Amino acid sequence: MPLLDAEVKEEVARRLGTLTGPVRLVMFTQEIECEYCSETRQLVQEVADLSAHVTATVYDLVADSARADELGVDKIPAIAVIGERDYGIRFYGIPSGYEFTSLLAAMETAAAGEVDLAQATLETLSRLSTPVHMQVFVTPTCPYCPQAVVLAHKMAVASPMVQSDMISAQEFPHLAMKYQVMGVPRTVINEVTHIEGAADEPVVLEKLREALRARREEQ
Amino acid sequence: MSTDFVIGESSEPQTYDVVVIGGGPAGASAAIYTARADLTTLVIDKGLTAGAMGMASKIANYPGLPEPIAGTDLVRRIRDQARSFGASFVDGKVLRVDLKAEPKRAWTGSAEYRGRAMIIATGAMGRTNRFAGEDRLLGRGVSYCATCDAAFFRDRTVAVAGNSDEAIDEALTLTRFASRVHFLNPRADFLAPEGLVDELRAHEKITVHPSTRIKEIVGDTGVEAIHVVGRGREEIIDVAGIFIYLQGNVPITDYLDGQLPTSGEGCIVVDTTFQTEVEGVFAVGDVLCTHVKQAAISAAEGVTAAIAVDRHLHGREGLRPDWSR
Ligand SMILES: Cc1cc2nc3c(=O)[nH]c(=O)nc-3n(C[C@H](O)[C@H](O)[C@H](O)COP(=O)(O)OP(=O)(O)OC[C@H]3O[C@@H](n4cnc5c(N)ncnc54)[C@H](O)[C@@H]3O)c2cc1C
Repeated sequence: MPLLDAEVKEEVARRLGTLTGPVRLVMFTQEIECEYCSETRQLVQEVADLSAHVTATVYDLVADSARADELGVDKIPAIAVIGERDYGIRFYGIPSGYEFTSLLAAMETAAAGEVDLAQATLETLSRLSTPVHMQVFVTPTCPYCPQAVVLAHKMAVASPMVQSDMISAQEFPHLAMKYQVMGVPRTVINEVTHIEGAADEPVVLEKLREALRARREEQ
Repeated sequence: MSTDFVIGESSEPQTYDVVVIGGGPAGASAAIYTARADLTTLVIDKGLTAGAMGMASKIANYPGLPEPIAGTDLVRRIRDQARSFGASFVDGKVLRVDLKAEPKRAWTGSAEYRGRAMIIATGAMGRTNRFAGEDRLLGRGVSYCATCDAAFFRDRTVAVAGNSDEAIDEALTLTRFASRVHFLNPRADFLAPEGLVDELRAHEKITVHPSTRIKEIVGDTGVEAIHVVGRGREEIIDVAGIFIYLQGNVPITDYLDGQLPTSGEGCIVVDTTFQTEVEGVFAVGDVLCTHVKQAAISAAEGVTAAIAVDRHLHGREGLRPDWSR
């Protein structure tokens, strides 16, 4: 049974037809698959079948641990969306519901390799000298979440120092618990600052700066 | 968990001549005129009872309608009139726009809409006052979206504050997860279709508290309880979450993300043709602060802007009144 129906496939194919470069969907699963692993694997394969620009590769988190380490993948299901290079775009959990939008946007951003962020954001990102990890917690039924995910992924493309993860709160309850997620989207930056809701770019930028200041004070 | 797949921004959605955001008296009246001027017109609206008109139980001063009419009936009639001239309506809450793009874009949770011109008519039912504890506990049990966050409250007790169809829908969503839902209605009656109210009242997991207002949201690192006042007595109800769908009286412009300049009171600023600082983007009705809040005035502004939109799109200078066809 295909996951994507004919109508969605047609629309996705049309949209991926405009990709300006190659995109690799690198998916991680495990021999004994997790709850949504098989669906996520099927999803990347179905999406890749819709465009000549897109390829899908499936790895086993344990058997291919070297590849997982290289991409910093530590949980499944995982998808790394890779363009010309690995920009640090990750999806943990199946990008279903509204998050399918975020997956398509990530593919477009990775293919283009450039983003339309404000000058102030680009300047801050270009000056980063330490890694930034953005984790955006979502649920698939949240219409506000893609805005937060897409922005975090754009920031990852804009700087080699940034890695941005979409994390499905329901598939990773221990992380939702650890980061006290009771509402989505919730963006956690470097474990120290967090943003409730789909904030504008300047707000996210300020929280990022706050996270950097906190790290400097720690050192 | 759902495994359907929403495509947000489709590559080639239809481009309308005019996209109207908000289908109250202002937006729906504009749609009558733009549709009648043969401009393809789409109105996006989040709900019949969500606007000011939806709250008005009886309107007795709308010209030409001497018999008192319910606000919802009046809006329905204006919308039907717009439809009869070819305007389309979709249900949806606009979350984001791009006014600088050509064509201009508006996004709901599930779709993208494009228009060569845009009319903003979302009214002034936005909230201003926050409850004590609300901002501090946002994302820690305070939520404005049950569809998004209900899953975090499995087997917990929660509360919903509101009385519109949106509030009731969200309370019903919560019953799939929560063990008990306290429904706090600030009024004695409901502003929602009867069938929906019956469903709410009959639900075994829902306790309805009429005429009950929140005084404070209590909790240290997360919501623990709400302090409510209702019918002469105060009460503390233990809850893990509070979902708020109340209305206020400030212009609804959150989805514009600062793309249009606003006055100190948060009202959109326009010129005499109701055009905003962005060419091709107009704003009418209660989102402006320049008028007395009356349905007929909002409707007239919608009409004026519609004529200006027609002129803008056709590069026409003079105003051509449409007497009849
Ligand atoms: C209780 C009450 C009684 C009143 N009585 C009278 C009266 O007797 N006579 C009179 O002339 N006036 C009366 N008014 C005032 C009148 O209702 C308003 O002036 C008029 O409705 C304003 O029209 P509008 O179209 O600008 O806004 P609204 O009527 O508020 O309509 C706005 C529309 O925008 C939609 N919307 C909002 N946000 C979004 C979004 N993000 N996406 C999509 N859609 C959105 C809403 O669903 C709504 O339908 C009354 C108002 C109230 C509250």
